[in-house]
Amino acid sequence: MKVVYCAVALLALAACAPSTAPASGGGDEKTGTLRVWLYDEPNRAPKDKVVAEAIKEFTASRPDVKVEVTHVPTTPARHEKFKGAFNDPASAPDVAEFGNTDLAEYAAAGGFAEIDLTGLDVSPEQVESVTVDGKTYGLPWFIGVRALYYRTDVFEELGLKPPTSIGELTETARTIRKKKPDLYGIAVGGEYTYGSLPFLWSGGGEITSLDSPGSRKGVKAYTDLMTDEICPPQACASLTGGKTVELFASGKAAMGILGNFSRSAVEAGAAAGKWAVVPVPGFDKGSYAPVFAGGNNLGVMKSAKHRTLALEFVKLLGGKAYQAKMYDAMGNIPTLTAAREELAAKDAFVRPFLDGVAKGTKFVPLDPAWVKIDNGKVIPTMLQKVATKKATVEEATTEAAAAVKTAFGQ
Amino acid sequence: MRRLANILAVAAALVTAFPIYWMVLSAIKPAGEIQSLDVSLWTANPTLDHFVRVITGEGFGRYFLNSAMITLAVVVLSAGVSFLAAVALTRFKFRFRTTVLIMFLVAQMVPVEALTIPLFFVVRDMGMLNTLWALVAVQLAFTLPFSIWMMRGFVAAVPEALEEAAMIDGASRFTVLWRILFPLVAPGLVASSVFAFIVAWNDFVFARTFIISAKDNQTLPAALLVFFKPDENDWGGIMAASTLMTIPVLIFFVAVQRRLISGLGGAVKH
Amino acid sequence: MTRSKGVKRTLRPWVYLLPTAAVLIPLLAYPLYMLGLLSLFDYRQEQVSGGEPTTFLGLGNYTRLLSDGRFWEVLVQTVGFAAALVAGTLFVGAALAIVMDRAAPWARTALALAALAAWAAPAMTGSTVWMFLFDADLGLVNQVLGIDGYNWFYDRWVTFGVVGATVVWHSFPFVMVTLYAGMRAIPDEVLEAASLDGASPVRAFRLIVLPMLRPLVTIVVIQSIIWNFKIFTQIYIMTAGGGIAGQNTVLNVYAFQTAFGSSEYGLGAAIGVVMTLILLVVTLVYIRALYRSGEKL
Repeated sequence: MKVVYCAVALLALAACAPSTAPASGGGDEKTGTLRVWLYDEPNRAPKDKVVAEAIKEFTASRPDVKVEVTHVPTTPARHEKFKGAFNDPASAPDVAEFGNTDLAEYAAAGGFAEIDLTGLDVSPEQVESVTVDGKTYGLPWFIGVRALYYRTDVFEELGLKPPTSIGELTETARTIRKKKPDLYGIAVGGEYTYGSLPFLWSGGGEITSLDSPGSRKGVKAYTDLMTDEICPPQACASLTGGKTVELFASGKAAMGILGNFSRSAVEAGAAAGKWAVVPVPGFDKGSYAPVFAGGNNLGVMKSAKHRTLALEFVKLLGGKAYQAKMYDAMGNIPTLTAAREELAAKDAFVRPFLDGVAKGTKFVPLDPAWVKIDNGKVIPTMLQKVATKKATVEEATTEAAAAVKTAFGQ
Repeated sequence: MRRLANILAVAAALVTAFPIYWMVLSAIKPAGEIQSLDVSLWTANPTLDHFVRVITGEGFGRYFLNSAMITLAVVVLSAGVSFLAAVALTRFKFRFRTTVLIMFLVAQMVPVEALTIPLFFVVRDMGMLNTLWALVAVQLAFTLPFSIWMMRGFVAAVPEALEEAAMIDGASRFTVLWRILFPLVAPGLVASSVFAFIVAWNDFVFARTFIISAKDNQTLPAALLVFFKPDENDWGGIMAASTLMTIPVLIFFVAVQRRLISGLGGAVKH
Repeated sequence: MTRSKGVKRTLRPWVYLLPTAAVLIPLLAYPLYMLGLLSLFDYRQEQVSGGEPTTFLGLGNYTRLLSDGRFWEVLVQTVGFAAALVAGTLFVGAALAIVMDRAAPWARTALALAALAAWAAPAMTGSTVWMFLFDADLGLVNQVLGIDGYNWFYDRWVTFGVVGATVVWHSFPFVMVTLYAGMRAIPDEVLEAASLDGASPVRAFRLIVLPMLRPLVTIVVIQSIIWNFKIFTQIYIMTAGGGIAGQNTVLNVYAFQTAFGSSEYGLGAAIGVVMTLILLVVTLVYIRALYRSGEKL
């Protein structure tokens, strides 16, 4: 009797193999609440203000529409959020900001709808940054490039010059901490992947070959900054990019590898008005390190319930007027050619960033594997193991290279 | 001997209560004092700023309500459902009774967080993601096995003769069950309600996974994450939100503490 | 008794169990089955939402797991941490239960109320408060000790220590109150008789109280093992998802991140299955202990 019962139950259940996603739920409602996900960032207030302005403009002409903004963390925890939205179309927001590094994975997951960019003044290399297999999945919102911020007052007082090579950078940082022990020479972090990549690339390394001599040279140079004489591992090993911004902005560090988009955060802190920017130097004297061509896009989710409204909102917030406003608020470099040229002509701030771009940018692998590498904290783990002396550069890079191979399914 | 015990008890009480005190204190300290590096164990200028920011600025009033509704639903449903099951398991002899009992016992050890993965898909296919019902349902499922196990002892302790007498007096089965037996197992209900209350009110992992984009359906523990900023944590906000989250459980516990201890004592005897 | 009444009588318990079944079958039994099923499939983001077909892997996920050094590291770490937590919780809980038994009523009430507060505090709030107490710059502990800037979440063992203290703070009250209630349940006459027979309090405790408490201790131990092995919130919050270079990861966090972060749902499910099996063994020991202590099922 019991056996029969179990067998029936098993048969019934065996029919239920794991399901794939239900058919995309999307819709094209013209009223209701438009759900928007934006990234949480250091000193977010100016961004919030511009977004609020855009929402006001958007809802002024659409009285039946409400826009609700939720902030998504920029740490790898964001992947958990986004996956949730892809897995259950019914729960997806309408619009989301996403980093261009995540594009390949998000496209493979079928999370975003195609957006037609023709007629918009987006520069070609920016169009490319939202393209996978010939399809464009978002409107590039801003360019994020990192450069070396340094404290002009400290440099002047100690008679230092902005470093022109990684060797000089290390020496300068050491000198500063020796002469001013309550300052970190430079704010770097074990969880700050994009801060470490210029070092890696400058040495001739690649993410896909972390155990190559070039990569090791870069890893060594970067982790050498996480020592008691520069940025003590006790404090720095666990720092994310956001926390290094905080260190520099609050006047606790003399240098930092920060993005253009962190300008407002720096201006809001103790370091306000006492800083300048140069491109991140490379290993050879006078050279620039290849920088990471980051940037964020605004996308319409494939299962958005307000498809048209979502697209209209993306075009408004990503349009020329608000790109310029976001630059004024946060330092976000516009993706629209005209807006960018206007800016470069009148504001010297963007110069070092654009110089860095001109000398060559690099990107993370355009492959869904990157999100796995990022989420698995492969590069942070490697940096942290070296910085905390749990592994040598050789051991840590070998292990990380193996993890990268696994992520690529090799 | 007793003096030593008193000293130890008071010392342990102070150490145990201190984090709670510190949480409340930090929640009413002005921001400047939180940032200050001076040690001070009280504040001369208490302020409700953090609470105002948390409730009006971040909508924690709504999240509080959500948490409260979920918890209430779980506690009430779990009490009713587990009571019925306990009656079935104590008042009747039937085939597979022991099997069912063992299954409830085994169900208690299931690592619920590991079940997040399949549950996510189950709840999705039911179309319940993003809703409060999803959280009520899973919390109920996780509290039931333990509640049933606990209630069983209490129901067994009530003499069956009582119900038989009532039946002979012409009371319906319904009356016997809900008017006579149910009130008699109150201590057991308290103990199992405490457990259900804690499970439902504290849940973090399901709230985080199941409430995807519906901001209005967040619960307190998951919503608290907004104060962990990418640059500097908003400790005042975190402590105020934590205080909001702790007070209701505290009140509930203090209200039922006498019954709770006798309830646990009861569980001991059976 | 007529035949139909007999049928009614047989059916009634099942009717009473119906609501329970309506909840537990779809939300516990079926997901458990799904967990096992998912662990046998190649189930990643492309399969879940990208429209790719799922492929049956057999034990592929398990071979991958068992040959991964990282998994073993996390497993051993989880077991070790849980063991330390169980020992800590039991020691503190039992010691304070004895203190409570001996203390004057007012001191007992003070301790009971404080413990109740710690018990009641959600795991989330406990985590945030202890994190704040041990914050490198603004934390009270560093200010009092005068070690400003010391990072308690840097060294693996120090981090486990702080997180462990938080967990013990949360869980010792259950042990304390249960054991105290158990001690109260022992009739005074038994102890009086022992002391009349000339037994010292320590001897009386060892020979009379402990054996009488044994079934209770077993329950408390097993419950502690189950709770501590499943620990999630404290690690996830206090160490920001596993600590520096993932040094503080435990199985539950590992499974969660593997599935929902790296989109390896199948692999994450396999980790969940391993956890479930380990806890199943513990529970079987529990059931045996219950039988031994004479509990009638």
